[in-house]
Parts: sequence; C-alpha cells; structure tokens
Amino acid sequence: MVPLRLVTKNLAKHKLRFALTVCSLAIAIFLLCVLRSLVVALNAGVAAASANRVIVQSKVSLFVYLPQSYGPKLDMVQGVESIVRWNWFGGYYQDPSNFFAQFATDGKELFEVYPELEIVDGSAEDFLRDRKACLVGEETALKYGKKVGDTFPIIGTIFARLDGQPWDFQIAGIYRPKKATLDSTTLFFHYEFLEKSLESGATTGPGGVGIFVLKLAPGVDPVAVMSEVDAMFENGPQVVQATTEAEFQAQFVSMVGNVPMFVSSIGGGVMLAILLAALNTMLMSAREQTRDVGVLKALGFTDGSVFGILLAQGLVLCGTGGVLGILLAKISEPGMTRMLSSMFPGYQVTGGTVMEAAGATLAIGLLSGIAPALRARGLSVINALRAVR
Amino acid sequence: MIRLRGVTKAYTRGGEELVVLDRLDLDMEEGGFFALMGPSGSGKTTLLNLIGGLDHCDAGQIVVDGEDIARMNGPELAAWRAEKVGFVFQGFNLIPVLTAQENVELPLLLTNLSRRERHEHARLALELVGLDDRRGHRPSQLSGGQEQRVAIARAFVTDPKMILADEPTGDLDRKSADDVLSLLVRLNREFGKTILMVTHDAQAAERARAIVHMEKGGTLGRIERREPQPAKV
Repeated sequence: MVPLRLVTKNLAKHKLRFALTVCSLAIAIFLLCVLRSLVVALNAGVAAASANRVIVQSKVSLFVYLPQSYGPKLDMVQGVESIVRWNWFGGYYQDPSNFFAQFATDGKELFEVYPELEIVDGSAEDFLRDRKACLVGEETALKYGKKVGDTFPIIGTIFARLDGQPWDFQIAGIYRPKKATLDSTTLFFHYEFLEKSLESGATTGPGGVGIFVLKLAPGVDPVAVMSEVDAMFENGPQVVQATTEAEFQAQFVSMVGNVPMFVSSIGGGVMLAILLAALNTMLMSAREQTRDVGVLKALGFTDGSVFGILLAQGLVLCGTGGVLGILLAKISEPGMTRMLSSMFPGYQVTGGTVMEAAGATLAIGLLSGIAPALRARGLSVINALRAVR
Repeated sequence: MIRLRGVTKAYTRGGEELVVLDRLDLDMEEGGFFALMGPSGSGKTTLLNLIGGLDHCDAGQIVVDGEDIARMNGPELAAWRAEKVGFVFQGFNLIPVLTAQENVELPLLLTNLSRRERHEHARLALELVGLDDRRGHRPSQLSGGQEQRVAIARAFVTDPKMILADEPTGDLDRKSADDVLSLLVRLNREFGKTILMVTHDAQAAERARAIVHMEKGGTLGRIERREPQPAKV
C-alpha cells in the first residue's frame, strides 16, 4: 500500500527544490533527445541505403577524381543496369555562410538510379530539357525563398568561373526525397554543363569524376560486381574502391570523425550528471522524511510500503522532468530541423528516440529512488522515530 | 490481556551491555488504564515499545490479546500493529505535509474501507476530539494541544483494542495536557480501550486506574490500583 497523496505532497513540500530538479531533468532529457536525433540523422543514410546500388570511388580518397574513361567501362560490367556520375561542386549562395551541398550529375540517369527522388514542383522534363537547369531540395528552396523559374546564382569554389561571376542555375524543379538516402537540401545540376564550361576554358577545376553510382539489375549479387570493378582497375591509372551504398554512407559519416560515438558520450555524461543531481535531491528528501518513515511503520505500514513510497517519489520526480523534456524535444522539432538542415539534414525526433528518452527517465527514476528507498526499508521504527525533523 | 513473562531487553552502548528490562513479569487486564512511571532509564518506554510491537525483546514472552508477539516477524508485527494498537507520541509525530484529515485517514489505508468510508471515519474521529473544524489544517497550523488531539484521533480511528501513549502530555501546557488526558480517559471509559501511558507527570498518572512503578535496572516496583481523579485545572 503506497499512499500516493503522501508521495506527491512530500515532493511538493519544497517547491523550489522540486521545480529546479524537474527543470534540470527536463533539460537533460531534452538534450538527450536532440543528441540522439543528431546521431539518427547522421546514420539515416546508412539505414535507408539501397542494396542494389554500388558506389565506385578512388581507393586513395573520396577527394581524388576518377578518369572520365571509367564510365563506359563500368557500364559494360555484367549486371549494371544504369550508371550516374556525381561531382561535388562545393559552392555557396551569396555568402560562404550560405553553404549547402551541390552536385553535378547526369540528369536522366539520376532519375533512373534514384527513384526515391520525387519532384514536388516543376518537372523532370523541364530539368532534362535545359542544360543550365537545376533541381533544388525543398528545404533549401524554402530557406532561400526560391521557386521554380527562379535563377539560383551559386559562387563556385572548386569550379570558379574565370569572369568572377556566379553560376546561374535555373530552377526547373523542387524535389523531396522519399528515402533518407538523399536529403532535401541539395542542388543537382547537369554534369554536361560543368563539362562544357571546363572544356571552353570559362571555368577552372578538375576534370574527372568524383564518384560513379551503379544501379544493379534485380537479383544481381553486389559482391560479385564490386569484385569485378575492383579487379578491372587494379592496375590504374586510378585504383578504385567499390562499396555498397550502406558502406559508403557509413564511411562518409566516419569522415567527420566518430560523431555518433562523440555525441553518445556527451549524452552519457549528461545522463550521469543528472542522475547524481536527482539522487542528491532524493537523498535529502528521504533524510527529511526519516521520522515520517518511523510513524508509518508504527502505524502498520510494512518495510515494503515505505520502500514503495520513496521509490515512487523518485519515479514521479524524474517522470515529470522526463515527460517535460520529451515534450520540449517534440515541440522544438520543426525549429531544430530548420536550424540544423545544412549540417544534419533529416533531423527528427523519432519514436525510437522518444522510447530511449523514456527508458533513460525510468532508469534515472529507479536509480535515484532506490538508494533512499532501501535506507528507509532498513530503518528500525525506534531509530526512525528518534530522528530529528 | 497483556502478559509479560521473563522479558529481558539489553542495549549495547560504547561496548558495554546495558540491561534495560531484567526478566520482567507483568499482567495488565483488558480495558484498564495504566500509567507507567519511574525514573529515567527504568525501561518505561522500552516496555511500551515491546508491548506495542515496535521492538523485539531479547528473551521472554509478551502475550497480547492471546498472541505471543515476541515470536512474530516484521511483516506479521506490522499487520498486528495496524489492527490492534494505536500510538500517541510525545512529539505528536503527525506527517507535516498532510492535513489533519489526511493524517487521521493514514492508518485506514491499511484497511479494506472504501475511500468514502475512510473519509467518513476520519471525520468522525476528528469530531470526537473536537477538531472537526480543523480538518483541512496542516500540523504547522495547529497548536500543540490540537496536534496531540489529532494524533489521538489517528490512534483510535481504526478501533484498536489498545492505545499506547508515550509521554502524551510532555510537550503540552497544563490546560492542553488535561484535554488530552480527558480524551484518553473517555476512550478508556466509553469505548473500552486499554490505555498504557508512560509519564513522568504525577498529575497525569492520577487520571489512570493503575500506576505501574518501574525501578532503575528494569525491574518492576509496586502496582498501585486506584480510583482515577478528575482533572485539576
């Protein structure tokens, strides 16, 4: 028998202490949700990776370009259905702080290899018709107030124009990815446009290809294709590394350091700190209730009942903070998504994250409540009644 | 109703064993009002704690209402206390965060009464001690005498056979002390409760029907049977 009114009233006895502890817990759980969502966003590409796509890059580094001549050879590999080139453009809009991803790619093949790319405004036909056209992710379009038909001037850094002018891309379509393999912040334009500019000498920059993405025919074993590709260019001129899309995405995430591990460590530290704070509050509260414990036991409440009262106080205290923290994370989700769109596209507080936060809240509640609860359970009535209130 | 045979209790303090009760034999009949008196260290409170099942004796037999409570384990004793005993302490020992009504309702949570019944029982108990109008007050909003009356209401609200009071008037002025003692007398006379009261106060002891004198070293002195005196204000 646990008198719930006693549980809540004991917690509310020191209102300021209760409020401060709940606020600390809410902030910690909010931070946990945010950090976890960042990790989820980073790994979203890995989780959603397609099994029938193979990425071919230089074995030396992602920043070493492959010869154009590799394209036709890769196209001849048994099981390859389609092939698309990707080149990192690395430009910015108006100011270097307005940075987002841009890629030169093969327009028609892009839609074949990435069926998850959905045009929500404009059309693929318009994009394919105009060499200067581009597709823009809806988040970027929204962020910079761009719509179909607008010009999107991008200042090149790797591929700078000799006349010092920006690249004027015409927006032919706004896209929304149906899977996390693509994000909604990227700008795609025609590889051919880049190629012609380089050939004409209007632009400086490397002439190779960043990566080739191969789409495999249904039922084709990607391992066999990757082995064949690796063997094909074993003797150069540029040795390649063929990987599955999942491996490539994972490698890409690890390029910025072990961010998931780093972020998880911060989250763990925050949880430990808040556990100690909650434990301290509960121990103080339990010490103040020592005499009450004696009274309850004298009235006939069992050791188990007083254990339950103290444990319930820990759970209610942490539960209140945890629920507030989770609510805060959900309420701030749209704002955070916009704010983090360039660094962490696809940021969202998933059901899994909410469950993890709820689990952490429960664990903190149990751990902070169990020490004072055990102490109260072990107190003799006589000793408890002697305690000074 | 209360039968003690060879009850011994000792504490170890500073490495030395201190015998508080030494092979004590005592009989107290049902429906009596006993005052336990004696010098400090004579084992009055220890005896009260043993009879109330708050502590265990080292040796001997404590039979209360036909049950040997010295043989009971923790949970059995807790259940027994909830059913058979009401406690009144010197420092009142009300739960400070609960109202008078909630404090009195607390032991009723261990019964099978419905919420409404618990509420009604507590209300009646408070009415009986004259504090019906203070039901919503917390202990800090009551005087010492009122707090002790709430504690008495809490002690008898479950209708136990026995009420054990440890210096119930120790922290009260004379007027409040007499109110509290009158309540205990009433519970004894009108409701047939067995009252066992530890006190240093001779005037308080005069209200009892028998005075059990304890002696230093935890042995029993004389038992004085007497006609209780009315309150002297």
